[in-house]
Amino acid sequence: MGNILFNVGYGHFLVLAAVLFLIGVGAVLVRRNALIILMGVELMLNAANMTLLTFSRMWGDLSGHTFALIVIAVAAAEASVGLAIVVAVFRGRRNVDVDKLTTLRH
Amino acid sequence: MMRLLILITSAFLAWGAVDAMAPQAAYADPIPAQQGGNPRARVNIVKKSPHLDRVESRDKGMALLFWLFAAMTVGGALFVVTRRNLIAAVMGMVGSFLGISAIYMMLYAHFLSVVQMLVYAGAIMVLFVFVVMILNRPEDEPVAPSGRAGQVIGGLAILYLVGRLVMLLWKVQPPDPIKALAAPVATPEGHEWGTVKAVGTDLFNGGLFPFEAISILLLVAVVGAIAIARPLHAGQDNEGDIPEGEGH
Amino acid sequence: MDYSQFKFLGLPMLAWIPLFPLLGALVNLTLGRRLGKTAAHTVAIAAVVASFGMSAWLVFGELWKAYKAGAGGTGIEQVVYTWIEVGQLKIELAFHLDTLSGVMILIITGIGSLIHIYSTGYMAHDPRYSTFFGYLNLFTGAMLILVLGSSLPVMFIGWEGVGLCSYLLIGFWYEREDYATAGRKAFIVNRIGDFCFLLGMFLLFWATKTLDFGQLKQASVGAAYVQPFWGGERLAAAAAIFLFIGACGKSAQLPLFVWLPDAMAGPTPVSALIHAATMVTAGVYMVCRLAFLYSASTTAMIVVCTIGMLTALVAAFMAFAQTDLKKVLAYSTVSQLGFMFVAAGTGNWTAAIFHLMTHAFFKACLFLGAGSVMHGMEHGGSTTPGDIMTMGGLRKHMPITWITFLISCLAIAGIFPFSGFFSKDEILGGAYSIVGSAAPPGWPAWYGYVLWGGLLVAALGTAFYMWRLYFLVWHGPERSEAAKHAHESPPSMTMPLVILALGATLTGFLGLPHLSWLKLPSWWPSLSSWLAPSTVQTWYNPGVDGPAQPLLGHSSDNTILILMVVALGIGLLGIGLAWVFYGAPGKPSGTVERLVDGPLHGAYEASKAKLWFDEVYDFLIVRPFRLVARALFEIVDRFIIDTIAVNGSAMVVGLFGRVSRWFQNGQVQRYLAGLVLGAAAVFLVADCKTKPTFDYEMVGDRLHLTARPGAGLVSATTKLRWDIDGDGKADVDPNTGAVYDTPDLYVLYGDTGAKVTLFIDDPVTRTTKTVTRLIELEDK
Repeated sequence: MGNILFNVGYGHFLVLAAVLFLIGVGAVLVRRNALIILMGVELMLNAANMTLLTFSRMWGDLSGHTFALIVIAVAAAEASVGLAIVVAVFRGRRNVDVDKLTTLRH
Repeated sequence: MMRLLILITSAFLAWGAVDAMAPQAAYADPIPAQQGGNPRARVNIVKKSPHLDRVESRDKGMALLFWLFAAMTVGGALFVVTRRNLIAAVMGMVGSFLGISAIYMMLYAHFLSVVQMLVYAGAIMVLFVFVVMILNRPEDEPVAPSGRAGQVIGGLAILYLVGRLVMLLWKVQPPDPIKALAAPVATPEGHEWGTVKAVGTDLFNGGLFPFEAISILLLVAVVGAIAIARPLHAGQDNEGDIPEGEGH
Repeated sequence: MDYSQFKFLGLPMLAWIPLFPLLGALVNLTLGRRLGKTAAHTVAIAAVVASFGMSAWLVFGELWKAYKAGAGGTGIEQVVYTWIEVGQLKIELAFHLDTLSGVMILIITGIGSLIHIYSTGYMAHDPRYSTFFGYLNLFTGAMLILVLGSSLPVMFIGWEGVGLCSYLLIGFWYEREDYATAGRKAFIVNRIGDFCFLLGMFLLFWATKTLDFGQLKQASVGAAYVQPFWGGERLAAAAAIFLFIGACGKSAQLPLFVWLPDAMAGPTPVSALIHAATMVTAGVYMVCRLAFLYSASTTAMIVVCTIGMLTALVAAFMAFAQTDLKKVLAYSTVSQLGFMFVAAGTGNWTAAIFHLMTHAFFKACLFLGAGSVMHGMEHGGSTTPGDIMTMGGLRKHMPITWITFLISCLAIAGIFPFSGFFSKDEILGGAYSIVGSAAPPGWPAWYGYVLWGGLLVAALGTAFYMWRLYFLVWHGPERSEAAKHAHESPPSMTMPLVILALGATLTGFLGLPHLSWLKLPSWWPSLSSWLAPSTVQTWYNPGVDGPAQPLLGHSSDNTILILMVVALGIGLLGIGLAWVFYGAPGKPSGTVERLVDGPLHGAYEASKAKLWFDEVYDFLIVRPFRLVARALFEIVDRFIIDTIAVNGSAMVVGLFGRVSRWFQNGQVQRYLAGLVLGAAAVFLVADCKTKPTFDYEMVGDRLHLTARPGAGLVSATTKLRWDIDGDGKADVDPNTGAVYDTPDLYVLYGDTGAKVTLFIDDPVTRTTKTVTRLIELEDK
């Protein structure tokens, strides 16, 4: 037990990333507010970033950093467009509950 | 007030983490990681060394810091999932991001750690806060109502995935401990690995094309966000609710 | 001669003959309603007349040249395009104009033109004027395809096309339920025949691998005709009889004739063109076209002429008691078609086509005359214009129609010198000549007499009922107000009548009897020598029947003359009887009624009820069929298909739909849930697959070891090591000193211990799995 606690290895980082990712999945799964879902997606992206950086360190290869940087940029773009959509939807319907956005259904 | 305290503590601890990592350079084998070429080419089996392949094995303080930030990250994330109040969720998210930022620092990703703090905890979360303020409505139903069986199966699946991933991942070891354990080379400007200079060199050598592509993507995103978010018709905002299902 | 470049506007010349009417049909059936009546009939008549002109030009031009050069049977053959090419089956849309089809196209387009012109008067007040002309054109085109087709499938296109037009035109006034029913009846009865036609076609293809008339006629193919089939009978018999059943349907022969009398529901020009002059003769034409096939089987010939004779007799009998003008003519048509089949069945192809031609003229003239009469009666105020009991004395009101009708009646009764006399006499003479030693193998020596006798009786009946009709319509007092007020039809109707009557008078001279003292000038057209190249004159003799034997016996001059006199006498006798009962002054008197109520009551009823054919068919076929259909409907359709198959499958689909709707509900969150479940499943499956092992086998003196480190989580960087001597440590190759680390390993069996161990090192997880197996070989 002490080994796990005090010998913090790469595995710990990876496990942390995995847990973070699954919490993000959980947020997307159970929440119905579009904002929270967006945040869940951000969480997942960050978990992936953390994995990238860990492996980058593990393999001694800096490409992981570059990749993570690009992911952050993509995440920023995604967040801005996603939030714009949320605002647009809210303006039209006074609601951002994804379960009620069913106009395109059927 | 409590949250503010947490935030301040986190920031302080993050700074502590950076500070704590500095002594590593003293005892790590100084092989510059970025000069290694393709690391797979030189993989060879070395004797198993229980100490060398640990990020921090001698510093219990570092281990404690890791657990602290990990708890902060996970806690913030759980906050996002569970809070009914959107502002609370956003704040949890900010905390989580700060923790992540500190964790990055422990992985010698200084530059990205800063970027994370600036872009995520700063810019993106501010954006979220703005939107939350625009919406300004409490959520009616926070949790999607799904069947009992669905919840059980989904929960079991997530738990199984967590368990399986933990079992699998926490044993992961670097194929080349020597290189993996190589602390950043000390240079007159500071440390070599994970710095702005190192990442920048890598980015503008191998990653130039993705970098340029990202700039276009960001431009498109900006234009797209403006195009989507602006009112369809002048004065639409004043007209109030648009009936659902009415075509334009 | 090569006719491949003999084209007009890029299409083969022959293709234009059916194409003109088909184009006319296209115009009239699509644009007809906008065209107006004048334009509609102008287009239709122009199309048929153009076709007639083309036909005449080709027949009297190119075909005449070919005939003079001795190639009348080869004629003109032109391929439009290859229609079907599958395996051995190659069907070209090809047309073939020889002397036989030449006669037919002239009849079809010539009489067709006249009837088109006649229709402008007869149909003048019909609201669906252009549609009618469209159908008529379509029919003409289909009939021309039937006649010109150079292979059975092409003929079948026309065969079905004329069937369709017949159905459409019989039911032209479909507002009346019984007319529509008559159309359906014609169609269904014809389907039975068409089915057998197809069977015969398939049989021929199965035996000969070709369906082209030219190839079927060749001697190399002919050997297939005499193969035993169905209990020793020749294959030709089976194929010919199947095809003949098809002809029975189309040409209204026993037992499939029942549709033709009902077909009189159609407009009278249709009855004249389709149900008297052209379509119903398609069967006769087909038998003559396949003369080579029929002549290969005596059985088939006997079947053909027997059916023909019985039909001639039965139909003549049925005509006695009919009171509808067109019904009498319809039974007369059936009867005359029987005559033609007797001619075809006795190998007297020329007589069959000759009678076909003369019959086309006089029967078309009779029908058109009947149409003219009904037209006049309708104008006189009659509501049942076809009822001959309300007519009488019409000759004073409709002189032109009367004269032409009289000529046609003389022709059909076989009175010299009208055309029917010559053609009927040819048939009778042919039947009479195929007796005694002249009879072919398998042909009863006395059977010719039976046929001859039967036909004489039928001819007597024909003369009687036709002249009964004549006297009832034209002579005596007017028996109704309508008859008194009837008036002559317009010139558009009487002009074709005159031309047809001329034809009915003169065409007989194309086939003068073969009397040795009758020296005809060389330019005199003779139908028999004209048709000879297209038909066959001998029994098909593939070396089994002895030397080739001519189809027809030769009769002496005296015999021919005696037969002619007898036939003429029979015709005059029939007319005389009719005059006695119906035509003499003061007739019809009570004599007929007394006879009908008295000694002839049963026969009269039988004739009136058409020998109860419809009732028998209803009882034997329609009712059982309905019963079976009802059962099938209730059991198969209602229960199996509706309940189980349709509703059942809908239920199953609905079930799956309800299940999959849970996934495909448009909620991205559900999709993500599926993703998570899938990821969990991947791990689960991978966990189940990771048990590592290895295989071994002896190859020569070496042991072949194959590692199976397991799928799933074993990474690409996995390292293998082998312990082959059983000491628990990884071994090295004694020769090279290298570690055994390949998945495939060959080692000398002597080097191995009882146990072999495989070490699997996973450098990522830093674990080593070991697999140890006892080496147990059966032969060691």
